[in-house]
Amino acid sequence: MISLSDVTYHYPRSDSPALSNLSLEIPAGQFCAVIGANGSGKSTLCSALAGFVPHFYRGKLTGSVEVAGIDTAGSSLAELAGTVGLVFANPFNQITGARFTVREEVAFGLENLGVPLAEMEPRIDEVLAFVRLTDLADQSPYALSGGQQQRLAIASVLVMRPKILVLDEPTSQLDPIGSKEVFAVLRDLAATDEATVVLAEQKLEWVATFADRVLGLHKGKLVADGPPAEVLSSLTLTKYGLEPTRYTQAARAAQAAGWRTDETTLPVTLEQAVEFFR
Amino acid sequence: MSATYGLYVSKQTAIHRLHPLTKLTYVLTCLLIAWIVPGVWAPYIVLLVGIVPVALMAQVFPNVVQNTIKTTIPFAISLFIVQGLFWTGGTIIQQLGPFSLKEEGLLFAIRGTGRIIIAVSGFLLLSYATRSDELMLALSQKGLPSRISYVILSTLQIIPRFQHKANTILDAQRSRGLETEGSFLIRTRALLPLVFPLLLGSIVDIEERAIALEVRAFGRSGPKTSLLVLHDTNRQRLFRRLLILVSLGVIALRIYLWLAPRFAA
Repeated sequence: MISLSDVTYHYPRSDSPALSNLSLEIPAGQFCAVIGANGSGKSTLCSALAGFVPHFYRGKLTGSVEVAGIDTAGSSLAELAGTVGLVFANPFNQITGARFTVREEVAFGLENLGVPLAEMEPRIDEVLAFVRLTDLADQSPYALSGGQQQRLAIASVLVMRPKILVLDEPTSQLDPIGSKEVFAVLRDLAATDEATVVLAEQKLEWVATFADRVLGLHKGKLVADGPPAEVLSSLTLTKYGLEPTRYTQAARAAQAAGWRTDETTLPVTLEQAVEFFR
Repeated sequence: MSATYGLYVSKQTAIHRLHPLTKLTYVLTCLLIAWIVPGVWAPYIVLLVGIVPVALMAQVFPNVVQNTIKTTIPFAISLFIVQGLFWTGGTIIQQLGPFSLKEEGLLFAIRGTGRIIIAVSGFLLLSYATRSDELMLALSQKGLPSRISYVILSTLQIIPRFQHKANTILDAQRSRGLETEGSFLIRTRALLPLVFPLLLGSIVDIEERAIALEVRAFGRSGPKTSLLVLHDTNRQRLFRRLLILVSLGVIALRIYLWLAPRFAA
Protein backbone atom coordinates (compact mmCIF):
# COMPACT_ATOMS: atom_id res chain seq x y z
CA MET A 1 0.00 0.00 0.00
CA ILE A 2 2.86 2.39 0.89
CA SER A 3 6.29 1.90 -0.61
CA LEU A 4 9.33 4.13 -0.15
CA SER A 5 12.39 3.24 -2.13
CA ASP A 6 15.72 4.89 -1.28
CA VAL A 7 14.08 8.24 -0.56
CA THR A 8 16.32 11.22 0.13
CA TYR A 9 14.88 14.71 0.45
CA HIS A 10 16.44 18.14 0.92
CA TYR A 11 14.32 21.18 1.77
CA PRO A 12 15.11 24.21 -0.42
CA ARG A 13 18.37 25.92 0.59
CA SER A 14 19.25 23.09 2.98
CA ASP A 15 22.46 21.09 2.75
CA SER A 16 21.51 18.32 5.14
CA PRO A 17 18.80 15.88 4.06
CA ALA A 18 15.53 15.78 6.01
CA LEU A 19 15.06 12.18 4.83
CA SER A 20 18.04 10.02 4.01
CA ASN A 21 18.00 6.79 1.95
CA LEU A 22 14.68 5.78 3.43
CA SER A 23 13.20 2.50 2.22
CA LEU A 24 10.17 0.82 3.71
CA GLU A 25 6.91 -0.95 2.90
CA ILE A 26 3.66 -0.57 4.82
CA PRO A 27 0.96 -3.10 3.90
CA ALA A 28 -2.73 -2.20 3.57
CA GLY A 29 -4.66 -1.92 6.81
CA GLN A 30 -1.62 -1.56 9.02
CA PHE A 31 -1.54 1.05 11.81
CA CYS A 32 2.00 2.27 11.75
CA ALA A 33 3.45 4.72 14.29
CA VAL A 34 6.46 6.88 13.47
CA ILE A 35 8.52 8.02 16.44
CA GLY A 36 11.57 10.23 16.70
CA ALA A 37 12.88 13.34 18.40
CA ASN A 38 12.22 16.83 17.03
CA GLY A 39 13.92 17.22 13.66
CA SER A 40 14.13 13.48 13.09
CA GLY A 41 12.09 13.70 9.86
CA LYS A 42 8.65 12.55 11.05
CA SER A 43 6.79 15.52 9.61
CA THR A 44 8.78 15.38 6.38
CA LEU A 45 7.89 11.70 6.00
CA CYS A 46 4.22 12.56 6.56
CA SER A 47 4.43 15.35 3.97
CA ALA A 48 6.14 13.01 1.51
CA LEU A 49 3.37 10.41 1.88
CA ALA A 50 0.71 13.05 1.20
CA GLY A 51 2.66 14.50 -1.74
CA PHE A 52 3.37 17.89 -0.14
CA VAL A 53 7.04 16.93 -0.41
CA PRO A 54 8.01 17.87 -3.06
CA HIS A 55 4.87 19.48 -4.60
CA PHE A 56 4.23 22.08 -1.91
CA TYR A 57 7.58 22.51 -0.18
CA ARG A 58 9.61 22.11 -3.39
CA GLY A 59 13.17 21.02 -2.56
CA LYS A 60 14.92 17.98 -4.04
CA LEU A 61 13.48 14.49 -3.76
CA THR A 62 15.27 11.39 -5.03
CA GLY A 63 14.01 7.81 -4.87
CA SER A 64 10.32 7.01 -5.11
CA VAL A 65 7.29 7.32 -2.86
CA GLU A 66 4.30 5.22 -3.88
CA VAL A 67 0.95 5.33 -2.11
CA ALA A 68 -1.90 3.05 -3.15
CA GLY A 69 -0.09 2.44 -6.42
CA ILE A 70 0.35 6.17 -7.17
CA ASP A 71 3.80 7.70 -7.55
CA THR A 72 3.45 10.90 -5.48
CA ALA A 73 6.11 12.86 -7.40
CA GLY A 74 4.40 12.08 -10.71
CA SER A 75 0.90 13.03 -9.51
CA SER A 76 -0.59 16.37 -8.58
CA LEU A 77 -1.86 17.19 -5.08
CA ALA A 78 -5.38 17.32 -6.53
CA GLU A 79 -4.97 13.74 -7.79
CA LEU A 80 -3.68 12.58 -4.41
CA ALA A 81 -6.47 14.26 -2.42
CA GLY A 82 -9.02 11.66 -1.55
CA THR A 83 -6.44 8.86 -1.73
CA VAL A 84 -4.20 10.15 1.05
CA GLY A 85 -5.66 12.14 3.94
CA LEU A 86 -3.40 14.32 6.07
CA VAL A 87 -4.13 15.65 9.55
CA PHE A 88 -1.55 17.84 11.21
CA ALA A 89 -0.82 19.34 14.61
CA ASN A 90 -2.67 22.65 14.61
CA PRO A 91 -6.42 21.95 14.64
CA PHE A 92 -7.36 25.61 14.17
CA ASN A 93 -5.53 25.94 10.86
CA GLN A 94 -7.25 22.87 9.43
CA ILE A 95 -10.62 24.59 9.53
CA THR A 96 -11.29 25.89 6.04
CA GLY A 97 -12.87 29.13 7.27
CA ALA A 98 -15.34 28.99 4.40
CA ARG A 99 -18.02 26.90 6.09
CA PHE A 100 -20.17 27.95 8.97
CA THR A 101 -21.15 24.70 10.71
CA VAL A 102 -19.36 21.49 11.67
CA ARG A 103 -21.56 19.55 9.22
CA GLU A 104 -20.73 21.92 6.35
CA GLU A 105 -17.04 21.81 7.24
CA VAL A 106 -17.07 18.01 6.94
CA ALA A 107 -18.90 18.32 3.63
CA PHE A 108 -16.22 20.59 2.12
CA GLY A 109 -14.00 17.77 0.82
CA LEU A 110 -16.97 15.82 -0.55
CA GLU A 111 -18.22 18.92 -2.37
CA ASN A 112 -14.84 19.34 -4.02
CA LEU A 113 -14.82 15.67 -5.04
CA GLY A 114 -18.25 16.18 -6.62
CA VAL A 115 -20.00 13.60 -4.41
CA PRO A 116 -23.81 13.75 -4.96
CA LEU A 117 -25.89 15.21 -2.13
CA ALA A 118 -27.79 11.97 -1.53
CA GLU A 119 -24.51 10.16 -0.86
CA MET A 120 -22.99 13.06 1.04
CA GLU A 121 -25.44 13.20 3.93
CA PRO A 122 -25.18 9.59 5.18
CA ARG A 123 -21.38 9.75 4.89
CA ILE A 124 -21.27 12.92 7.00
CA ASP A 125 -23.62 11.43 9.62
CA GLU A 126 -21.52 8.28 9.79
CA VAL A 127 -18.21 10.07 10.21
CA LEU A 128 -19.58 12.58 12.75
CA ALA A 129 -20.84 9.68 14.84
CA PHE A 130 -17.45 7.97 14.51
CA VAL A 131 -15.58 11.00 15.92
CA ARG A 132 -18.38 11.69 18.42
CA LEU A 133 -19.33 15.12 17.11
CA THR A 134 -22.95 14.43 16.12
CA ASP A 135 -24.30 16.68 18.89
CA LEU A 136 -22.14 19.57 17.69
CA ALA A 137 -23.01 19.25 13.99
CA ASP A 138 -24.78 22.63 13.84
CA GLN A 139 -22.18 24.54 15.83
CA SER A 140 -19.56 26.85 14.39
CA PRO A 141 -16.22 25.00 13.92
CA TYR A 142 -14.58 27.94 15.69
CA ALA A 143 -16.72 27.36 18.78
CA LEU A 144 -15.22 23.91 19.39
CA SER A 145 -12.42 23.06 21.83
CA GLY A 146 -8.98 22.07 20.49
CA GLY A 147 -9.70 18.36 20.88
CA GLN A 148 -13.07 18.72 19.18
CA GLN A 149 -11.52 20.72 16.34
CA GLN A 150 -8.89 18.02 15.84
CA ARG A 151 -11.61 15.35 15.75
CA LEU A 152 -13.39 17.54 13.21
CA ALA A 153 -10.18 17.65 11.12
CA ILE A 154 -9.98 13.84 11.27
CA ALA A 155 -13.67 13.56 10.32
CA SER A 156 -13.21 16.01 7.43
CA VAL A 157 -10.51 13.78 5.98
CA LEU A 158 -12.08 10.41 6.85
CA VAL A 159 -15.34 11.35 5.14
CA MET A 160 -13.41 11.42 1.84
CA ARG A 161 -12.62 7.72 2.48
CA PRO A 162 -8.89 7.91 1.85
CA LYS A 163 -7.02 4.67 1.42
CA ILE A 164 -4.23 6.08 3.56
CA LEU A 165 -4.57 8.36 6.56
CA VAL A 166 -1.48 10.24 7.71
CA LEU A 167 -1.54 12.00 11.08
CA ASP A 168 1.35 14.29 11.93
CA GLU A 169 1.49 14.71 15.72
CA PRO A 170 -2.27 15.32 15.97
CA THR A 171 -2.19 15.79 19.75
CA SER A 172 0.94 17.90 20.17
CA GLN A 173 -1.02 21.16 20.56
CA LEU A 174 -3.84 19.73 22.65
CA ASP A 175 -4.40 19.63 26.39
CA PRO A 176 -4.58 16.19 28.11
CA ILE A 177 -8.36 15.99 27.75
CA GLY A 178 -8.23 16.92 24.07
CA SER A 179 -5.41 14.41 23.48
CA LYS A 180 -7.41 11.68 25.19
CA GLU A 181 -10.43 12.42 22.97
CA VAL A 182 -8.31 12.22 19.82
CA PHE A 183 -6.56 9.02 20.92
CA ALA A 184 -9.96 7.45 21.61
CA VAL A 185 -10.87 8.11 17.96
CA LEU A 186 -7.52 6.74 16.78
CA ARG A 187 -8.03 3.61 18.86
CA ASP A 188 -11.39 3.07 17.16
CA LEU A 189 -9.71 3.68 13.82
CA ALA A 190 -7.04 1.07 14.61
CA ALA A 191 -9.78 -1.42 15.43
CA THR A 192 -11.50 -1.02 12.05
CA ASP A 193 -8.53 -1.99 9.81
CA GLU A 194 -10.28 -0.11 6.99
CA ALA A 195 -7.54 2.40 6.23
CA THR A 196 -3.80 2.23 6.34
CA VAL A 197 -2.76 4.67 9.06
CA VAL A 198 0.59 6.36 9.58
CA LEU A 199 0.77 8.27 12.86
CA ALA A 200 3.76 10.45 13.79
CA GLU A 201 3.59 10.79 17.55
CA GLN A 202 5.78 11.54 20.55
CA LYS A 203 3.41 10.17 23.19
CA LEU A 204 4.82 6.64 23.26
CA GLU A 205 2.43 5.23 25.84
CA TRP A 206 -0.47 5.88 23.53
CA VAL A 207 1.41 4.63 20.48
CA ALA A 208 2.14 1.38 22.30
CA THR A 209 -1.52 0.68 22.96
CA PHE A 210 -2.80 0.57 19.39
CA ALA A 211 -0.01 0.62 16.79
CA ASP A 212 0.70 -2.59 14.86
CA ARG A 213 4.20 -1.46 14.08
CA VAL A 214 6.60 1.28 15.14
CA LEU A 215 9.14 3.02 12.92
CA GLY A 216 11.91 5.02 14.59
CA LEU A 217 13.52 7.93 12.75
CA HIS A 218 16.71 9.75 13.62
CA LYS A 219 18.17 12.51 11.46
CA GLY A 220 16.06 11.37 8.54
CA LYS A 221 17.20 7.74 8.75
CA LEU A 222 15.20 4.69 9.72
CA VAL A 223 16.79 3.43 12.95
CA ALA A 224 14.09 1.13 14.31
CA ASP A 225 11.31 -0.94 12.78
CA GLY A 226 9.25 -3.57 14.56
CA PRO A 227 6.37 -4.35 16.89
CA PRO A 228 5.71 -1.68 19.57
CA ALA A 229 6.85 -3.88 22.47
CA GLU A 230 10.18 -4.54 20.78
CA VAL A 231 10.96 -1.00 19.55
CA LEU A 232 9.66 0.93 22.55
CA SER A 233 11.46 -1.21 25.15
CA SER A 234 14.72 -1.10 23.24
CA LEU A 235 17.73 0.31 25.08
CA THR A 236 18.73 2.29 21.99
CA LEU A 237 15.66 4.52 22.27
CA THR A 238 17.39 7.06 24.56
CA LYS A 239 20.31 7.22 22.13
CA TYR A 240 17.92 8.81 19.63
CA GLY A 241 16.55 11.36 22.07
CA LEU A 242 13.41 9.47 23.12
CA GLU A 243 12.35 8.58 26.63
CA PRO A 244 10.99 5.05 27.08
CA THR A 245 7.51 4.83 28.60
CA ARG A 246 7.27 5.04 32.39
CA TYR A 247 6.37 1.32 32.47
CA THR A 248 9.56 0.37 30.66
CA GLN A 249 11.56 2.66 32.95
CA ALA A 250 9.97 1.07 36.04
CA ALA A 251 10.70 -2.42 34.71
CA ARG A 252 14.33 -1.49 34.02
CA ALA A 253 14.69 -0.11 37.54
CA ALA A 254 13.22 -3.35 38.86
CA GLN A 255 15.68 -5.40 36.81
CA ALA A 256 18.57 -3.22 38.03
CA ALA A 257 17.44 -4.11 41.54
CA GLY A 258 17.67 -7.78 40.60
CA TRP A 259 13.98 -8.45 40.00
CA ARG A 260 12.88 -10.53 36.97
CA THR A 261 16.28 -10.22 35.31
CA ASP A 262 15.45 -13.18 33.06
CA GLU A 263 12.72 -11.19 31.25
CA THR A 264 14.02 -9.86 27.92
CA THR A 265 10.83 -8.13 26.73
CA LEU A 266 10.00 -5.19 28.96
CA PRO A 267 6.49 -3.75 29.32
CA VAL A 268 5.53 -0.63 27.33
CA THR A 269 1.86 -0.35 28.29
CA LEU A 270 0.01 -0.37 31.59
CA GLU A 271 -1.48 -3.80 30.91
CA GLN A 272 1.96 -5.28 30.14
CA ALA A 273 3.39 -3.61 33.25
CA VAL A 274 0.67 -5.17 35.42
CA GLU A 275 1.58 -8.54 33.94
CA PHE A 276 5.32 -7.91 34.45
CA PHE A 277 5.04 -6.90 38.08
CA ARG A 278 2.47 -9.54 39.05
CA MET B 1 -21.85 29.08 20.16
CA SER B 2 -24.13 28.49 17.22
CA ALA B 3 -22.89 29.14 13.74
CA THR B 4 -22.87 32.79 12.69
CA TYR B 5 -23.03 33.87 9.07
CA GLY B 6 -21.32 37.23 8.88
CA LEU B 7 -23.94 39.94 9.48
CA TYR B 8 -26.86 37.58 8.77
CA VAL B 9 -29.81 37.89 11.16
CA SER B 10 -31.78 34.66 11.26
CA LYS B 11 -35.53 35.35 10.83
CA GLN B 12 -38.42 33.41 9.33
CA THR B 13 -39.54 36.01 6.81
CA ALA B 14 -40.49 35.86 3.14
CA ILE B 15 -37.47 38.02 2.32
CA HIS B 16 -35.10 35.61 4.08
CA ARG B 17 -36.58 32.72 2.11
CA LEU B 18 -35.96 34.37 -1.28
CA HIS B 19 -33.19 33.06 -3.53
CA PRO B 20 -29.95 35.03 -2.84
CA LEU B 21 -29.74 36.16 -6.47
CA THR B 22 -33.25 37.67 -6.27
CA LYS B 23 -32.19 39.78 -3.28
CA LEU B 24 -28.87 40.70 -4.88
CA THR B 25 -30.50 41.73 -8.18
CA TYR B 26 -33.12 43.77 -6.31
CA VAL B 27 -30.55 45.66 -4.25
CA LEU B 28 -28.33 46.28 -7.28
CA THR B 29 -31.31 47.61 -9.24
CA CYS B 30 -32.18 50.00 -6.39
CA LEU B 31 -28.56 51.18 -6.30
CA LEU B 32 -28.45 51.68 -10.05
CA ILE B 33 -31.66 53.72 -10.09
CA ALA B 34 -30.55 55.83 -7.14
CA TRP B 35 -27.17 56.53 -8.70
CA ILE B 36 -28.08 57.30 -12.27
CA VAL B 37 -31.57 58.79 -12.22
CA PRO B 38 -31.09 62.57 -12.23
CA GLY B 39 -32.42 64.68 -9.39
CA VAL B 40 -31.20 65.50 -5.91
CA TRP B 41 -33.92 63.52 -4.16
CA ALA B 42 -33.82 60.38 -6.38
CA PRO B 43 -31.70 58.31 -3.88
CA TYR B 44 -34.05 59.24 -1.03
CA ILE B 45 -37.13 58.25 -3.03
CA VAL B 46 -35.54 54.88 -3.87
CA LEU B 47 -34.63 54.49 -0.19
CA LEU B 48 -38.23 55.12 0.92
CA VAL B 49 -39.87 53.09 -1.82
CA GLY B 50 -37.33 50.31 -2.39
CA ILE B 51 -35.21 49.69 0.70
CA VAL B 52 -37.32 50.68 3.72
CA PRO B 53 -40.38 48.47 2.99
CA VAL B 54 -38.18 45.44 2.28
CA ALA B 55 -36.13 46.04 5.46
CA LEU B 56 -39.39 46.21 7.42
CA MET B 57 -40.66 43.01 5.81
CA ALA B 58 -37.35 41.28 6.62
CA GLN B 59 -37.61 42.51 10.24
CA VAL B 60 -34.13 44.03 10.07
CA PHE B 61 -35.17 47.69 9.81
CA PRO B 62 -33.62 48.80 13.16
CA ASN B 63 -30.33 47.05 12.27
CA VAL B 64 -30.24 48.70 8.84
CA VAL B 65 -31.04 52.17 10.21
CA GLN B 66 -28.58 51.97 13.10
CA ASN B 67 -25.61 50.80 11.04
CA THR B 68 -26.41 53.00 8.03
CA ILE B 69 -26.36 56.08 10.27
CA LYS B 70 -23.10 54.94 11.94
CA THR B 71 -21.39 54.37 8.60
CA THR B 72 -22.77 57.36 6.72
CA ILE B 73 -22.30 60.18 9.24
CA PRO B 74 -18.51 60.68 8.76
CA PHE B 75 -18.92 60.75 4.95
CA ALA B 76 -21.93 63.07 5.15
CA ILE B 77 -20.16 65.54 7.45
CA SER B 78 -17.10 65.73 5.18
CA LEU B 79 -19.31 66.06 2.07
CA PHE B 80 -21.32 68.93 3.57
CA ILE B 81 -18.21 70.74 4.76
CA VAL B 82 -16.19 70.30 1.58
CA GLN B 83 -18.97 70.76 -0.98
CA GLY B 84 -21.12 73.22 0.97
CA LEU B 85 -18.36 75.62 1.94
CA PHE B 86 -15.84 75.21 -0.86
CA TRP B 87 -18.05 74.98 -3.96
CA THR B 88 -16.56 77.07 -6.74
CA GLY B 89 -18.92 79.81 -7.89
CA GLY B 90 -22.63 79.26 -7.23
CA THR B 91 -25.30 81.02 -5.17
CA ILE B 92 -24.30 82.10 -1.69
CA ILE B 93 -27.06 81.39 0.82
CA GLN B 94 -25.16 82.16 4.04
CA GLN B 95 -21.87 83.87 4.80
CA LEU B 96 -19.91 82.19 7.64
CA GLY B 97 -16.90 84.39 8.37
CA PRO B 98 -14.34 83.83 5.62
CA PHE B 99 -16.45 80.95 4.19
CA SER B 100 -19.69 81.06 2.24
CA LEU B 101 -22.34 78.38 2.12
CA LYS B 102 -23.34 77.69 -1.52
CA GLU B 103 -26.72 76.34 -2.64
CA GLU B 104 -25.22 74.19 -5.42
CA GLY B 105 -22.65 72.72 -3.04
CA LEU B 106 -25.34 71.85 -0.49
CA LEU B 107 -27.51 70.18 -3.14
CA PHE B 108 -24.49 68.19 -4.36
CA ALA B 109 -23.77 67.09 -0.77
CA ILE B 110 -27.41 66.08 -0.25
CA ARG B 111 -27.36 63.99 -3.41
CA GLY B 112 -23.94 62.48 -2.54
CA THR B 113 -25.10 61.59 0.97
CA GLY B 114 -28.25 60.00 -0.47
CA ARG B 115 -26.12 57.86 -2.78
CA ILE B 116 -23.94 56.72 0.13
CA ILE B 117 -27.01 55.99 2.26
CA ILE B 118 -28.58 53.89 -0.48
CA ALA B 119 -25.33 51.96 -1.09
CA VAL B 120 -24.76 51.26 2.61
CA SER B 121 -28.36 50.43 3.47
CA GLY B 122 -28.70 48.22 0.39
CA PHE B 123 -25.57 46.27 1.28
CA LEU B 124 -26.69 45.95 4.92
CA LEU B 125 -30.17 44.81 3.93
CA LEU B 126 -28.69 42.14 1.70
CA SER B 127 -26.22 41.04 4.39
CA TYR B 128 -28.81 40.89 7.18
CA ALA B 129 -31.31 38.91 5.12
CA THR B 130 -28.93 36.60 3.21
CA ARG B 131 -26.46 33.99 4.44
CA SER B 132 -23.12 34.83 2.88
CA ASP B 133 -22.41 31.17 2.04
CA GLU B 134 -25.75 30.89 0.21
CA LEU B 135 -25.01 34.07 -1.75
CA MET B 136 -21.55 32.77 -2.70
CA LEU B 137 -22.99 29.40 -3.70
CA ALA B 138 -25.56 31.15 -5.90
CA LEU B 139 -22.81 33.22 -7.52
CA SER B 140 -20.57 30.13 -7.93
CA GLN B 141 -23.44 28.38 -9.70
CA LYS B 142 -23.50 31.38 -12.06
CA GLY B 143 -19.80 30.99 -12.80
CA LEU B 144 -17.98 32.87 -10.02
CA PRO B 145 -14.65 31.02 -9.55
CA SER B 146 -14.62 28.94 -6.35
CA ARG B 147 -11.34 30.56 -5.28
CA ILE B 148 -12.92 34.04 -5.22
CA SER B 149 -15.91 32.71 -3.36
CA TYR B 150 -13.53 31.05 -0.85
CA VAL B 151 -11.56 34.26 -0.29
CA ILE B 152 -14.72 36.25 0.42
CA LEU B 153 -16.24 33.67 2.75
CA SER B 154 -13.05 32.90 4.66
CA THR B 155 -12.30 36.61 5.09
CA LEU B 156 -15.68 37.05 6.77
CA GLN B 157 -14.78 34.39 9.32
CA ILE B 158 -11.06 34.89 9.63
CA ILE B 159 -10.99 38.65 10.34
CA PRO B 160 -12.59 38.22 13.81
CA ARG B 161 -10.08 35.38 14.53
CA PHE B 162 -7.26 37.66 13.40
CA GLN B 163 -8.44 40.34 15.82
CA HIS B 164 -8.63 37.73 18.58
CA LYS B 165 -5.06 36.63 17.83
CA ALA B 166 -3.83 40.25 17.89
CA ASN B 167 -5.47 40.73 21.28
CA THR B 168 -3.83 37.53 22.59
CA ILE B 169 -0.39 38.77 21.48
CA LEU B 170 -1.10 42.20 22.96
CA ASP B 171 -2.14 40.63 26.29
CA ALA B 172 1.02 38.51 26.28
CA GLN B 173 3.16 41.60 25.64
CA ARG B 174 1.32 43.56 28.34
CA SER B 175 1.86 40.79 30.86
CA ARG B 176 5.58 41.17 30.18
CA GLY B 177 5.39 44.86 31.04
CA LEU B 178 4.95 46.44 27.59
CA GLU B 179 3.15 49.79 27.73
CA THR B 180 0.29 49.81 25.24
CA GLU B 181 -1.86 52.62 26.58
CA GLY B 182 -1.21 56.33 26.91
CA SER B 183 0.03 58.89 24.44
CA PHE B 184 0.04 58.44 20.67
CA LEU B 185 3.82 57.82 20.77
CA ILE B 186 3.48 55.05 23.38
CA ARG B 187 0.71 53.36 21.41
CA THR B 188 2.69 53.59 18.18
CA ARG B 189 5.73 52.09 19.87
CA ALA B 190 3.58 49.23 21.19
CA LEU B 191 2.57 48.35 17.64
CA LEU B 192 5.97 46.96 16.63
CA PRO B 193 6.07 44.04 19.09
CA LEU B 194 2.50 43.25 18.02
CA VAL B 195 2.92 43.45 14.27
CA PHE B 196 5.86 41.09 13.84
CA PRO B 197 4.51 38.08 15.80
CA LEU B 198 1.12 38.64 14.20
CA LEU B 199 2.58 38.80 10.71
CA LEU B 200 4.92 35.81 11.12
CA GLY B 201 2.20 33.77 12.82
CA SER B 202 -0.19 34.59 10.01
CA ILE B 203 2.27 33.47 7.33
CA VAL B 204 2.56 30.07 9.05
CA ASP B 205 -1.23 29.93 9.38
CA ILE B 206 -1.69 30.64 5.69
CA GLU B 207 0.77 27.89 4.71
CA GLU B 208 -1.00 25.34 6.91
CA ARG B 209 -4.42 26.43 5.70
CA ALA B 210 -3.29 26.03 2.10
CA ILE B 211 -2.20 22.45 2.92
CA ALA B 212 -5.53 21.78 4.65
CA LEU B 213 -7.39 23.00 1.55
CA GLU B 214 -5.31 20.83 -0.80
CA VAL B 215 -5.95 17.79 1.41
CA ARG B 216 -9.66 18.49 1.00
CA ALA B 217 -9.35 18.46 -2.82
CA PHE B 218 -9.90 22.22 -3.16
CA GLY B 219 -7.50 22.36 -6.11
CA ARG B 220 -9.33 19.61 -7.97
CA SER B 221 -10.85 20.63 -11.27
CA GLY B 222 -14.16 19.25 -12.46
CA PRO B 223 -17.74 19.55 -11.27
CA LYS B 224 -18.35 20.29 -7.60
CA THR B 225 -21.45 19.62 -5.56
CA SER B 226 -22.90 21.35 -2.51
CA LEU B 227 -24.46 20.34 0.77
CA LEU B 228 -26.47 23.54 0.67
CA VAL B 229 -29.50 23.50 -1.57
CA LEU B 230 -30.87 26.79 -2.86
CA HIS B 231 -34.56 26.96 -3.68
CA ASP B 232 -35.53 28.99 -6.72
CA THR B 233 -38.92 29.46 -8.36
CA ASN B 234 -40.13 30.49 -11.81
CA ARG B 235 -41.71 33.60 -10.29
CA GLN B 236 -38.39 34.68 -8.83
CA ARG B 237 -36.58 34.01 -12.12
CA LEU B 238 -39.19 36.14 -13.89
CA PHE B 239 -38.87 38.88 -11.27
CA ARG B 240 -35.07 38.93 -11.69
CA ARG B 241 -35.43 39.24 -15.47
CA LEU B 242 -37.88 42.09 -14.93
CA LEU B 243 -35.40 43.84 -12.65
CA ILE B 244 -32.68 43.48 -15.27
CA LEU B 245 -35.05 44.96 -17.87
CA VAL B 246 -35.84 47.88 -15.54
CA SER B 247 -32.10 48.43 -15.02
CA LEU B 248 -31.46 48.41 -18.76
CA GLY B 249 -34.39 50.78 -19.26
CA VAL B 250 -33.02 53.20 -16.66
CA ILE B 251 -29.57 53.08 -18.27
CA ALA B 252 -31.14 53.73 -21.69
CA LEU B 253 -33.15 56.64 -20.28
CA ARG B 254 -30.04 58.14 -18.70
CA ILE B 255 -28.11 57.85 -21.98
CA TYR B 256 -31.05 59.44 -23.83
CA LEU B 257 -31.24 62.32 -21.34
CA TRP B 258 -27.50 62.84 -21.71
CA LEU B 259 -27.46 62.70 -25.50
CA ALA B 260 -30.74 64.53 -26.29
CA PRO B 261 -29.53 68.09 -25.50
CA ARG B 262 -26.36 67.48 -27.55
CA PHE B 263 -28.37 66.42 -30.62
CA ALA B 264 -30.85 69.27 -30.10
CA ALA B 265 -27.96 71.73 -30.13
